[in-house]
Amino acid sequence: MEPMEALPEGQIKKDMKNFIKENFLLGNDSTLNDDDSFMAKGIIDSTGILEVVSFVEKTFGFRIEDDELLPDNLDSLNNLTSFIARKQGK
Amino acid sequence: MLLYEYIQKNAQLYPENIAIIYQKERLTYEELALRSDAVSGYLAENGLIKGDRVALLLENSPEYVCSFFGILKAGGVVVPLNTQLVPRELGVLLVDCTPKFVITDSSHNQSLVGLIDKNSVILIDSFDFTMDCGLWTMDYGLSDSDLAMIIYTSGTTGKPKGVMLAHRNLDANADSIINYLRITASDRMMVILPFYYSYGNSLLTTHMKSGAALVIDNRFIYPNVVLDLMEREQVTGFAGVPSHYTILLHKSALRKYPLITLRYVTQAGGAMAPSMIKEFQDLFPQIKFYVMYGQTEASARLTYLEPELLVKKSGSIGKAIPGVELDLLDETGSKIKTGEIGEITARGANIMLGYWNSPEETEKVLKKEGLWTGDLAKIDEEGFIYHVSRKKEMIKSGANRISPLEIEEVVCRMRGILECAAVGVPDEILGEAIKLCVVKNGANMNEKDVLLFCKQNLAAYKLPKVVEFRNSLPKTSTGKIRRSELVYSP
Repeated sequence: MEPMEALPEGQIKKDMKNFIKENFLLGNDSTLNDDDSFMAKGIIDSTGILEVVSFVEKTFGFRIEDDELLPDNLDSLNNLTSFIARKQGK
Repeated sequence: MLLYEYIQKNAQLYPENIAIIYQKERLTYEELALRSDAVSGYLAENGLIKGDRVALLLENSPEYVCSFFGILKAGGVVVPLNTQLVPRELGVLLVDCTPKFVITDSSHNQSLVGLIDKNSVILIDSFDFTMDCGLWTMDYGLSDSDLAMIIYTSGTTGKPKGVMLAHRNLDANADSIINYLRITASDRMMVILPFYYSYGNSLLTTHMKSGAALVIDNRFIYPNVVLDLMEREQVTGFAGVPSHYTILLHKSALRKYPLITLRYVTQAGGAMAPSMIKEFQDLFPQIKFYVMYGQTEASARLTYLEPELLVKKSGSIGKAIPGVELDLLDETGSKIKTGEIGEITARGANIMLGYWNSPEETEKVLKKEGLWTGDLAKIDEEGFIYHVSRKKEMIKSGANRISPLEIEEVVCRMRGILECAAVGVPDEILGEAIKLCVVKNGANMNEKDVLLFCKQNLAAYKLPKVVEFRNSLPKTSTGKIRRSELVYSP
């Protein structure tokens, strides 16, 4: 997997929001806040989270390790954005 | 034995034993008995009589368990509802079972607006579990042949069928499962399967009967969280469908967990690739792996394979569980020979009373030979059964069995759709994912329009993963859709 140039957090959040909106909300993101839990809101199920992982790996050019599949890293737009930014900074 | 007597008995035998672990809460059997009594007292005081249905629209939680046993103690019939259903789907079930009450919580209450009188809704998150109803000596005149539960399953006709299970059906199956899994009061089961499915429900009945503990977590979406909990709470059992094991083996940090207290795991809900079972066994040779088979109509379980025979009888679903007799019959009701394909039929105290409000559907499956399961299988010289296929078209996706007709009936209501067909296509994680093939009636629509319509009318697990627009659907000379041709097309 090729490492890519680090993106600013604002761009990361925008990319992730678009992905969630198009794939899980069918274009309607009016009810999704940045700190909403995908799990609690029933937006993403256990296979959906794997689609998110796959998208993040392809888009941002790093591998998400098995032990990083945690709500603190993935379960909201804010958590995802911080996690991706942290990984890109490494 | 009546199901609520499990709690009474264990509250006396093991009052301090932990029954439920959920987040930071730990409920003893004594506390569970008191809380269940509060629910049953409330229901009785508010007019519930023997045989009245009470629907449960709750995620797995201590409140679900207290409500479950409370309803039964008051003589009611538990109707667990799938929390993923959209209001349209819930409405169909509520009209069918006409519950006296629906027990739910604030987060699911919105789905019930307009479907049921709000005075019939009990919000369990604001329920006073401390009320003393003094019901220990009350006698509702219940017998074990009385109806205990109605569990809805997807019907092949597209209309969900309510499987009627008496106390004795569920109790007999619980006894049998406890026997072959050797469940005792010192066991701790990790529960990720929803109680509203019969597999999940069997975890509830077997462990509450044994005086064991249920460790509940509804966050399998993040499997590492569940693995942490399994390690921390020293669970002794785990139950899952094939997709759970796929995720654990390939999308979690399973290999980093020693799981030394885990005594056994069970797998049901569809065939799991023998290579995957072997992978699990190679990682954890000390853990017994039970392959099982059953259906809601049998209170859950019909067969299991002894873990020691997994290699020798690879691909088999084993033999009948204790107390169940199985035959493989041809269409005339005659036993088939070794190597031939026949339909699994079952007899035993665990077999349902019939389908709620559907004597004609009941007659189709409950006959003099027993329950005709609709599952086709072979049998070897030593009597081990090998599942071949379902007789009727059903899609099996994750833990869910989905009727293609139910999806098709909904989609065909969309303006601009001429006809459609839903089929199961192979999926690495789910086993099968739903593919919807659509023929438009000249209308201008795209995949997203179809998915939006589906989302409004179908539970999330019934949503197609792929929508394919076609000029026509392949059909036989009698006009029947050739579904197999749609799986891999175009």
